[in-house]
Amino acid sequence: MTMAAANTIIDIEPAARMRTPNDSPLKIICLAPTLVWFGALFAVPLIALLWAGFWRVENYQTIITFSLENYEQVAANFFAKSRYGLALVQTFWVAITGGIFAVAFAYAVALAIVYAVPQRWQRLALLFAIAPFWSSYILRVYAWQTVLSKNGVVNSFLKMTGLDWARLDVIFTQTATRIGLVHYLAPILIVILYVTLTNIDRAVIEAARDLGSTRWQVFKKIILPLSGFGLTVAGSFAVIIGMGDALCGALLGGGAGQSIIGKVPLFASMLISDYASATNLPRTAALATILVLAMLLVMWASFAIGERVRKATAE
Amino acid sequence: MAVEPQSPYDLEIRNVSKRFGAATAVDDVSFKVGRGEFVAVMGPSGCGKTTLLRMMAGLEGMSAGRIYIRGRDVSAVPVNLRSTRLVWQNYALFPHLDVFGNIAFGLTLQPYDRPVVSGKVKRMAALVGLTEFLDRRVGQLSGGQKQRVGIARALVTEPEILLLDEPLSALDAHLRLRMQGELRRIQQQLGISFVYVTHNQIEAFSMADRVVVMNKGKIEQIDPPEIIYNFPKTRFVASFVGANNLFEGSVLSHDGAFTTVETREGRLSVLAGDTRPAIGEAVTVVVQADKLTRQPKGILGENTLKATLRGREYAGSQNIYLLDLPTGAEVKLVAQESMAVASRTALNAEVAVHFPAEAATIIGYHRRPPEAVADISEAAE
Repeated sequence: MTMAAANTIIDIEPAARMRTPNDSPLKIICLAPTLVWFGALFAVPLIALLWAGFWRVENYQTIITFSLENYEQVAANFFAKSRYGLALVQTFWVAITGGIFAVAFAYAVALAIVYAVPQRWQRLALLFAIAPFWSSYILRVYAWQTVLSKNGVVNSFLKMTGLDWARLDVIFTQTATRIGLVHYLAPILIVILYVTLTNIDRAVIEAARDLGSTRWQVFKKIILPLSGFGLTVAGSFAVIIGMGDALCGALLGGGAGQSIIGKVPLFASMLISDYASATNLPRTAALATILVLAMLLVMWASFAIGERVRKATAE
Repeated sequence: MAVEPQSPYDLEIRNVSKRFGAATAVDDVSFKVGRGEFVAVMGPSGCGKTTLLRMMAGLEGMSAGRIYIRGRDVSAVPVNLRSTRLVWQNYALFPHLDVFGNIAFGLTLQPYDRPVVSGKVKRMAALVGLTEFLDRRVGQLSGGQKQRVGIARALVTEPEILLLDEPLSALDAHLRLRMQGELRRIQQQLGISFVYVTHNQIEAFSMADRVVVMNKGKIEQIDPPEIIYNFPKTRFVASFVGANNLFEGSVLSHDGAFTTVETREGRLSVLAGDTRPAIGEAVTVVVQADKLTRQPKGILGENTLKATLRGREYAGSQNIYLLDLPTGAEVKLVAQESMAVASRTALNAEVAVHFPAEAATIIGYHRRPPEAVADISEAAE
């Protein structure tokens, strides 16, 4: 081949590649709504929150400045009278344990849908399983209050049937918070885990059976390891949402609900009361920033774990 | 001496049927697989061959019939307790385990001794040529290596029968040829029966001791490959296997060793079989494509037909010709000759094709070599 011929090929190739649809102005137009949406509803408020954390309040007047005073105050009181530290620990504790229950419950439901329900009924079963997703979250939390309260549905029923000794005493504890969280998270987690399970090749499961595995061994040695990534994703999702949730903690946990850690409010509940007292908005912003950072930490950790699990279970 | 009555067969399928709703996938199928025999089950897609294999493995229930392994009725034995192992078309390897983990899988389901398992895995890896790949991830293997893992994983558990579901169909042609040889070597080395499902007649014919041809859930013919090829028992087998030309007609006369059949294409003379069809009976004459030869035009003797050349294919050492008869029927002619010869005949040229009476058979009325008779009576038993 001559030099000239080789050059022509090189000359033509990039020119032909430059005008792919990816480089057309259409791409920018198509992406614009997403950018506007993302910017207006996520980036701008987040930056405003971060910025507001550095403002100061003097004589009931907000001063736009750059000061670390709010953070210094919070740090000084972290384990003292305001118990911010304990609230953060309570948040981690409730979110992680609630997340574990939620993932376990959702995994059981997803397993049942994928492996126990006949193929043609699977989509319908999934639809039923995630039906609560379409009802209002606030309504659901109030409904749980009615169910779990001292003279609520469960306890009234137990009283009627003479099973009074078994009465539930969970309302306004963090247990009730977790129940609310599990119900809130379940539909999303079921979808994540359903997709994970349907992606496991049926032939691989049959191969394990053919090689002599009992059903339990198939679950333990095949399905569970191959669900690893999905379980990590679902778990981190549950923990992050659980950390940011204030409604269950307020309405079911009663603000400062009892847990192993004690009658300590969730960090998000504390934020709300801090905001409600409304004397120092910049300090609330600083507290919120701390929660955002804690969530980022969880996100980073779960990403790291997820990558390891994915690498260990992918081909 | 074994105490239990030993069956001379590794596998016995008795009147097995499988219905999915109104559809019948497998329809009253019976056959036996002798000790250490390599049996290929061949048929077009949807003929029920894979369903049959899955029933042998216990992955699919039966609607009727029974399955015996070495004389034991295993019809009700669940998949994980059967002594059969399956090799999958798409490998179905465990993606989260390395090659060693995949091969060892079946040995680690019961309490086990680590060095014993490790020794068995290494021996099996050596047998299938995977010794250097034991610590590789499954995703790092080529298709051929993956299927070796699939075979090793099954064989290491010492099954009584190995079931293979189109194991080579995802491989390229060259690799397929090599793997065919290796599968046959492994089978003979271990002396285990193989039941090999395929739609590919080259695979079936080059490896199997006997071939089961299936169509629409039923068995059409069970015979050694050369019998299936040379003496198809039914019209379906004749059209599915090999490159056969079929001529429909009715028997006109018997003349000494020859039978004359009147077809739309003309009168054809066929060397008669062991039994003869009645005069007037509707029959199909089979002539293999490589038994046809081109004749100089003009001399239309016995078994010589006028034809028009419609297409040519060059397959290296042989040329394949497609010709149309005046009746519109298509015939195929395969000639062992160089490519240059083929181009001498122009497309759409008038030619004549001929076959000797000895090269033609009538479906259902075959001459059989003596050794084949024993096989047939056994299969029909």
